[in-house]
Amino acid sequence: MSKKPTSQPALHKVIMVGSGGVGKSALTLQFMYDEFVEDYEPTKADSYRKKILLDGEEVQIDILDTAGQEDYAAIRDNYFRSGEGFLCIFSITEEESFQATQDFREQILRVKNDENIPFLLVGNKCDLEDKRKVSFQEASERAKQWGVTYVETSAKTREHVDKVFYDLMREIRARKMEENKTSNGKGKDKNKRKKLKCTIL
Amino acid sequence: MEYEQSNVIKDFPGLYASESQKINNRESDYSEDEKLTRKDLLTGKKKDKKDKKDKEKGYAALEGESSADEGYEIRSPTKSKKSKSFKFASKSKEKREKSRDKEKDFADKKKEKDKRIDKKSEKEKGKNDKKERPGDIAEELPIFGVPLELAVERSRCHDGVDLPLPYRACIDYLQMYGLGFEYIYKISSPKSKVLHLKKMYNHREFVDLAEHDVPTITGLLKMFLRDLPESIFTSELIVRFEEAGAILNVAMREKHLKILVGNLPPLNYMAVSWLIVHLYTVTLNEKSTKMNAQSIAATLSSTLQISQRLLTALLCHCPALFVDVKLIQYIPPLISTAQLPDEKDLMEIELKKQESLLSQIHSEMNAGFVSKQREELLWEVQRLITQLKRKIRSKNRVVEEKGIEEKVSHENTGNSSENLETERITATKKKDSQEVLNTVPLSLNNSEDNLDLNKKEINNASIASENVEVKNIEWDFPKPTEVDQEKTANVKITQEIESKSVNTLQTEDPNLPLLANDKEIMYLNLKNQTLLELKNKLIEKMEIEKKEIARLKLVLKEVQYKNQTEPVIIDSNSDNLDKIMELLQNENQILHIKKINLVRKIMEEHEICIDLSAKLMMLTASC
Ligand SMILES: Nc1nc2c(ncn2[C@@H]2O[C@H](COP(=O)(O)OP(=O)(O)O)[C@@H](O)[C@H]2O)c(=O)[nH]1
Ligand SMILES: [Mg+2]
Repeated sequence: MSKKPTSQPALHKVIMVGSGGVGKSALTLQFMYDEFVEDYEPTKADSYRKKILLDGEEVQIDILDTAGQEDYAAIRDNYFRSGEGFLCIFSITEEESFQATQDFREQILRVKNDENIPFLLVGNKCDLEDKRKVSFQEASERAKQWGVTYVETSAKTREHVDKVFYDLMREIRARKMEENKTSNGKGKDKNKRKKLKCTIL
Repeated sequence: MEYEQSNVIKDFPGLYASESQKINNRESDYSEDEKLTRKDLLTGKKKDKKDKKDKEKGYAALEGESSADEGYEIRSPTKSKKSKSFKFASKSKEKREKSRDKEKDFADKKKEKDKRIDKKSEKEKGKNDKKERPGDIAEELPIFGVPLELAVERSRCHDGVDLPLPYRACIDYLQMYGLGFEYIYKISSPKSKVLHLKKMYNHREFVDLAEHDVPTITGLLKMFLRDLPESIFTSELIVRFEEAGAILNVAMREKHLKILVGNLPPLNYMAVSWLIVHLYTVTLNEKSTKMNAQSIAATLSSTLQISQRLLTALLCHCPALFVDVKLIQYIPPLISTAQLPDEKDLMEIELKKQESLLSQIHSEMNAGFVSKQREELLWEVQRLITQLKRKIRSKNRVVEEKGIEEKVSHENTGNSSENLETERITATKKKDSQEVLNTVPLSLNNSEDNLDLNKKEINNASIASENVEVKNIEWDFPKPTEVDQEKTANVKITQEIESKSVNTLQTEDPNLPLLANDKEIMYLNLKNQTLLELKNKLIEKMEIEKKEIARLKLVLKEVQYKNQTEPVIIDSNSDNLDKIMELLQNENQILHIKKINLVRKIMEEHEICIDLSAKLMMLTASC
């Protein structure tokens, strides 16, 4: 779990969820390789690893880019279970994809059984302002209700792409530090833990 | 069946038993000191054999173990379910990490580390994974001691060769290190060593057989075979194998063994063919292995639950029986993105392997075996797949771009595009003539599809008079290989004359005398026709038989139902009944063999008839 920084850098596992076509792969590829692919190729599941500097500390990030479809339900749970943080993506140009975030949130909570799992709500394709269907206000409210942060991104212009990944990793890191503390002490129930987010952000 | 097998056992029990006794003695000598130093472990081991109840004790033993100083033996005794899989998991993870980092620890250092991590993981994971872990994968989804099909499914070779991993690994190892080993298969290793390896496989641990000696690996292979609930020759076919193995006429024996081998289900065929080909190479290296077909048969027939005679026969006919079987060494999926191949073909092969591995991980997880290590592996494999796909895609892009460039250059020079045109035309021409010729093998292909139906049919037809139980009807007859051979012959011939007939088409001179090859074609065509007619007739008959089978089944069901509703009072004199049963069974056996011989004769006569009539037709045609 939390390895001493002597040997291996810390590893944070991030999972991209959201309906098909919202830009999960685009965001991932932009973050990983600074590239943007115009054509849409449905993903089954892809995984990436990158070494980065997070506030001066070298860490590794594992990103799992999943399929939006329901076809892989059994497989999906296997991935969700192993995720330490989630980027829940929708497209601001597509109302349906915003509605779907509700389902994804529920699935994640069901599998992780943890209200405070590191999680960001991400409204992608914010470069397409003229096609916007989901208002900033609306999305922020949902995020607030869940106790998570809302960020708008564009995989095309790279706006806030790094931000969502780094912010999430900070949450994961804080979460792990807290976990270590409590597991050294007595507290064992994840669900009783207080939210850390407010202090971080 | 019964009498054959009892004969088998009569044939060699002395030899084998004495051998195994020797082994047992040797084993106890060998491991005496182990027993003394780790008494507690061994008592645990004994219990472990068939006792899962004693979990509490297992836990206690575990505490003791951590202070023991040998990594291997620690793992074999009884442990509580949970702690066991932690241990294994952390070790396999460690191996992966180790090989990835190319870290070179000294052996004992490593062992210490193992232990440390083991302990740590017990503490750490104990709380997190408890709820997800239903039990021990080695107990709930073992690889040894389950039907071949399950063993393959649970421990795949990810290169598409459908053999259980330990089975393949043993053969790989023995092909590499065993062919120079004197008395291979005869010399045994301590059972504890073999059991330890079996346990590692059942736990899905990383196993490096190269660390072990030849007797241990032969022992492991033997154990796998012995643990199988069903013979690899299948209980349906094994009697027939024995019958075929007992045929005196060498050519006939070979022919029948070949048919039987061809009738094995794919997975069994795989297992049988690899094993026999491997054993055959052992006998080919008799000078260094000191083992010939006879001694191999004497050593292994009881393991395989077949007679020495049959095993000897299989070994002697091996080259004819398994013509295309090549033992390919298994290269497991890569474990690091750093080693990805650069060639497209290799990348695609690797991708298939990784995907196969991925689906195995998923199915293990879906069966409830979730551990930190398996999750780690899941992400890792997924990452490899992603990288491979990216690499392949970029390769494809490069190829595509090149293709476009070439096209452009062609279009620019009018001359070359014309050339292309003409080339294409000639190509289609060639194709046309090929198609005509291909009709022959094609139709044969078609008939081949129906062959196993035919088989049954012929049986039914020819033995209709004999009162044999429905089960026995599926006996085969020489047909399939015959047609097979013909088919290949046909294909060859058509290929040979392809060029010639293209020429004849071009010259279009009907007055030219028929070439020898043309005659052959004509002859084969005629024969083919008759065979096709025969096929149709047989299919018709088969339909009738099928209906009859369905009808009989219904009757059977009714009778069974009646029997259920009106329980028959069983005669207390069941001893007598048993004897009668035995007698009847023996009689049936004899009738069965007679039937087989008759079927064989009928088919041979039939073949001759077809051959003759084809010749006859040809002669009348050319007159
Ligand atoms: N304009 C714009 N297009 C995007 C953006 N992100 C993704 N796309 C496009 O949306 C389509 C679907 O993206 P993809 O990443 O494959 O979606 P996924 O199914 O969620 O992985 C692709 O054609 C992308 O080019 C974005 O931020 N802006
Ligand atoms: Mg995608």
